[in-house]
Amino acid sequence: MNTRIRSSLIGGVFGFAIALISGGFAGILAGLVAGLINGFSVPQAEPLNNRAGAVRQGLVASLIASVLTILGIVIRSVLIDPVIGTPLNIASLLISMIGALILGIPVCVIMCVIRTEPPARERIGLAIVIGIVLVTYPWLDQFLNLRFMNEVIPVLVFILMALGLNIVVGYAGLLDLGYAAFFAIGAYAAGMVSSPHFGISLSFWLAIWVAAAVAALFGVILGSPTLPLRGDYLAIVTLGFGEIVPIAIKNLDKVTIHIWNYPLLVNFDITGGTKGINPINRPWLPVIGEFSPSAPTPWYFLILGIMLISIFFISRLRNSRLGRAWTALREDELAAGAMGINTVNVKLLAFAIGATVSGLAGAFYGSYISAIFPESFRFDVSVMLLCMVILGGLGNMSGVILGGIIIQFADRLFLPQFSTVVQKLIVASGNVSLREVNFASDFRLLLFGLTLVLMMILRPQGLVPSGRAARVMPTADAEVSHD
Amino acid sequence: MTNILETCGVTKQFGGLTAVNDVNFNVRQGSITSLIGPNGAGKTTFFNMITGLYVPTAGTITFAGQSLVGLKPHDVTAAGIGRTFQNIRLFANMTAVENVMVGMHTRMRAGVLGILANVAGVRREEAASRQKAHELLDYVGLDAQRADDVSKNLPYGDQRRLEIARALATDPQLLLLDEPTAGMNPQETAELTQLIRRIRDERGITILLIEHDMKLVMDISEAITVLDRGTKIAEGLPSDIRSNEQVIEAYLGRGAAAMAQKQAQQGGA
Repeated sequence: MNTRIRSSLIGGVFGFAIALISGGFAGILAGLVAGLINGFSVPQAEPLNNRAGAVRQGLVASLIASVLTILGIVIRSVLIDPVIGTPLNIASLLISMIGALILGIPVCVIMCVIRTEPPARERIGLAIVIGIVLVTYPWLDQFLNLRFMNEVIPVLVFILMALGLNIVVGYAGLLDLGYAAFFAIGAYAAGMVSSPHFGISLSFWLAIWVAAAVAALFGVILGSPTLPLRGDYLAIVTLGFGEIVPIAIKNLDKVTIHIWNYPLLVNFDITGGTKGINPINRPWLPVIGEFSPSAPTPWYFLILGIMLISIFFISRLRNSRLGRAWTALREDELAAGAMGINTVNVKLLAFAIGATVSGLAGAFYGSYISAIFPESFRFDVSVMLLCMVILGGLGNMSGVILGGIIIQFADRLFLPQFSTVVQKLIVASGNVSLREVNFASDFRLLLFGLTLVLMMILRPQGLVPSGRAARVMPTADAEVSHD
Repeated sequence: MTNILETCGVTKQFGGLTAVNDVNFNVRQGSITSLIGPNGAGKTTFFNMITGLYVPTAGTITFAGQSLVGLKPHDVTAAGIGRTFQNIRLFANMTAVENVMVGMHTRMRAGVLGILANVAGVRREEAASRQKAHELLDYVGLDAQRADDVSKNLPYGDQRRLEIARALATDPQLLLLDEPTAGMNPQETAELTQLIRRIRDERGITILLIEHDMKLVMDISEAITVLDRGTKIAEGLPSDIRSNEQVIEAYLGRGAAAMAQKQAQQGGA
């Protein structure tokens, strides 16, 4: 299939799905998303710096994507909405369609033009487009009445964690199935020092550093017993830690320690047990005041900021002596040792830095929901993070972010919305027997499992393979074609 | 001349099997020394003890006056011993340059905080090591256009060269080459022989070689030690080894040794 058509089909399918499932003015967002994806996946068919060609290419590509998106909007408004009890509103249908075109086509064209620039300028251009979308998103959300913000923030928290996990699994090749433990440790560390629980009420801005430091420390503590282990054995041990930490947290509410006969602690409540820690201080900034749970925008920019800073520093590590040592460790531990790499130190650093990132995410999350419970950090969090890393592409940050966006939005927004729509359709059709099926919760883990299995079979290197793997592909093809 | 490497009574047992038995072995500073022997003679086990992968069951290993017994592989590398592997063990998904830069790990100083702050020293060191990596690739004769190729995509001969460049990047005083010409054609072998000589002559690096290619060994070595079933059976100049009865016997069996001796006598008569 023509790659240009394929790229616009990918964009179009996403646009179609979003418009169909979310309804309302989400169709406009669908147009934007379709345009962006289209622009990303469009091949660099035209020679560099051929602006007119790029514009033409963008127009053609966005046409197909737009048609699909608009089809989604129309089906939703005309066929589904009336059945599930929302009357057809011609005016809003037209606004959605026009809005999708107005946002989708120019974005796709701009992206195509950027993609034909030389690599350095291309990167700056992409950063600007993504930056504009990210910065304007809260207002777009408000303007279109989408109310996605309360889901977007946890999505970003999870993407941040996936970036941390990527250091451990993707860079250093240490399969960690209990990574959520560090999320819990970070959240609890921050919670303990910025809540009435111990009467220590640090500001969020200090607590987040405490969380990072404590998580790093636990990264080393939990990492050191796993040092001699590889592959499956490492996975099993980390899986165990992932289970132990939440259980330990749950049970550390009545700690009694005697040293000889002297009672050091009697029924001391360290973690709040199943009740968790509540309330946790929220951040405070001069102009904004204390961050409010009802105004998500400051939270959005806070987590976005933490994430961008993390990405910045992780990429520095990645391209350094240490980053190379991680990759070498992943590729061949024995040879890495023989080349002078202290594998013990390098592994512990990977665990510690990965845990730090997770600790930051935990501190933010605890403050955001203003409470933490042992139940929030169960095994499925670790699994979901691993899914995000694998889906996007092990060892590649943009891949991990893409994988995170897809899995998290599917999990938090589209599955529940899809489930609601299907539920309403079932009710409208009068079929009683299916009424109890909840697609969001019943099929959630099945979908993760399926995603993982399919990815492993069809595209084990992930949606966006790391730069190295990408360079492998054309050469391998070229060698085949010579034969 | 002084010995850069001295082993005394080195023994390695795996359970009931004695892979290396009481080997005394010296490498003169600045020499090209070969370690030969039939398959399973314990050559690679011996290498692995020197480089810290195995701890000897008994015996001492001294490198430039420092005991190597009990050191971890990375400490041995830091002490100044570089090595290549019998089966190529490059970092397959890293580029050629990155492979070489990994080799410089112990000679670089950048720490986590310096990297995060991207201080000038770290930037300079990074640029310098990249530059040096390119020079090393050029030195071993790897095409400059191949420098940014992922190492698993390199042709076989280039992978062998890259492994040598990576070992040179550790800045060794002693370079251990484990069958560097295995699987190479005669022309590639000749080029590699040249390279090994140049490394010793131009860089003053002592070379210890495990090799099966007898032509190469006899051609290049200044001293040869022969292992058979874990025991040292001979050592000396190439000419001594060539006519050593025990060595011929180890390689070809008893009958062949007798025949060779007869031929030698007839030739002498």
